[in-house]
Amino acid sequence: MSTSVIELDGVVKRYQSGEETIEALKGVDFTANRGEMVTVIGPSGSGKSTMLNMIGLLDTPSEGNVHLDGRDVTDFSEDELTEERRSGIGFVFQAFHLLPMLTATENVELPSMWDTDVDRRDRAIDLLGRVGLSDRLSHTPDQLSGGQQQRVAIARALINEPDILLADEPTGNLDQDTGATILDELTRLKEEEDIAIVAVTHDEQLVEYADREVNLVDGEIGE
Amino acid sequence: MSIRDLLWQLPSVGMAWRNLGRSRVRTALATLGIIIGVVAIASLGMAGVAIQQQATSNLGGIADEVTIRSGTDSTTDGVTQEQVDRIRDVAGDATVIPEKTNSTTLTARDGSERFVSVTGLTRASTLYEVSSGDNPDRLRSGALLTNSTAQQLGLEIGDPVEYDGQLYRIRGLIESGGGGFGGGSELVLPLSALRDQNYYDSVTIVASDGDEAQRISDAVETRFNEGDEEILSVTSFASIQENVGSFLDTLNLALLGIGSISLIVASVAILNVMLMSTIERRGEIGVLRAVGIRRGEVLRMILAEAAFLGIIGGFVGAALSLGVGLVAFEVLAGDATLVFGWASVRYLLLGFGFAVVASLLSGLYPAWKAANDPPVEALRS
Repeated sequence: MSTSVIELDGVVKRYQSGEETIEALKGVDFTANRGEMVTVIGPSGSGKSTMLNMIGLLDTPSEGNVHLDGRDVTDFSEDELTEERRSGIGFVFQAFHLLPMLTATENVELPSMWDTDVDRRDRAIDLLGRVGLSDRLSHTPDQLSGGQQQRVAIARALINEPDILLADEPTGNLDQDTGATILDELTRLKEEEDIAIVAVTHDEQLVEYADREVNLVDGEIGE
Repeated sequence: MSIRDLLWQLPSVGMAWRNLGRSRVRTALATLGIIIGVVAIASLGMAGVAIQQQATSNLGGIADEVTIRSGTDSTTDGVTQEQVDRIRDVAGDATVIPEKTNSTTLTARDGSERFVSVTGLTRASTLYEVSSGDNPDRLRSGALLTNSTAQQLGLEIGDPVEYDGQLYRIRGLIESGGGGFGGGSELVLPLSALRDQNYYDSVTIVASDGDEAQRISDAVETRFNEGDEEILSVTSFASIQENVGSFLDTLNLALLGIGSISLIVASVAILNVMLMSTIERRGEIGVLRAVGIRRGEVLRMILAEAAFLGIIGGFVGAALSLGVGLVAFEVLAGDATLVFGWASVRYLLLGFGFAVVASLLSGLYPAWKAANDPPVEALRS
């Protein structure tokens, strides 16, 4: 039986925009389990990014609860949420978001850079090897192709051995073939590391790789 | 372990170093601002010290001396031996030199005459510097004569001069003491030459420094003169030195003030640079926060960038200031090595310290702002 890693329970998110109150999420229930890749699809403006921010503990809901590994983290302070992100959540962004002045290895180390962990360098090199970049360890992002950069980003997301990996349009900036290799990579890692992957996308190709698909329309989960 | 690995032991410092390397021109310009500020503070401060030292060394000789003469209420026509003994008690370790003065006319070999003032004293070497010849502690039967007078009379070292029927040999030539009667022509003789005179015309006290001279001067005043009565007239130049000293202190403060303004301008420039660069990197800092970098860690990273600007700018600025100081001391005080004295070196440290502190203060706001930016907002930008 699979265990739920992240759970949104009737999550509502409202934004104040001038005089208007915008309700980006209108009571969303969602779970993701270990060893499972879930895609969240929906038209732009449907609240996908807001939902991903909730799952990634980057933002807090106006109503409802968020559980990580069975713990209620809804009322955590910003500093507590930072600790949870640091230890339990990996991020992969559409635009890769690698730091340009750091090498591939250093970018992978980044989330654990401030920890006094002696073998983080070894783990970073190991992760880069597993995404096929053993020969690019000392390259800076501008010396890498888009696909290579995204693989560095995936290695970075895994450095702290997270329970869940969040991907925001991970193939959005890549061509079809490169996108496919990234998705193969994610599928393999999902099984090897036994982690949950939640990906937000428009990409039909990505949906094919998913174990489950969630439709978000107008801030509500549809069928 | 390489220096690079060592640098990464402090990730904030390592990240800061890389970040500064990303826009070298901007970093260089911000550092240049600091350098100019430090050079302004440190070199103006050191120039002030050089001026002060030069002024003190010019004044030094006079300021250390106290001259005592018979006052208007004195019953004797001069300073008595008994008074001299009491002055010695007051003066402590300072050198007390009683003098008798007179005047005479010296005759040259060709018959021409010169009117000269005569000073009789022991230990002439304490008060007079000879430009040629020697300057014995005790003159015995020797004499010192002003150089110009000797030339006018065609006298040379070793020649005899006559005073009160006694012959004295010229042992050394002195430069004119300036002023005085005799038009600056002065003959210095042993005290015994003026033994006919019962009283001393003046007593000169040579103290170790201006402050000591002032102390002795005050002590003599209170010991001998009661109320408005003036038994002894005491003249000291120590108060002049004090006035000059306090003027120079004010001057130094004004110079430092001007220097500080340029450092303030530099720190505003750093504030601007740090603010711009954190705004530019807003998304990047959002990524850092998203992947779990703590607020304090972001804060330290940006403060480290500001500190680097301050340390590099401060160091280069201090090095340049040392060069300026060497020139200033060579020109003003005549000795470039005086720049290594604490009085001037402390301005190098002051400039450096100011640079680091000003940079850190300027970095505080941008660092705080970046660290507290909600990651969602930052990522969206």
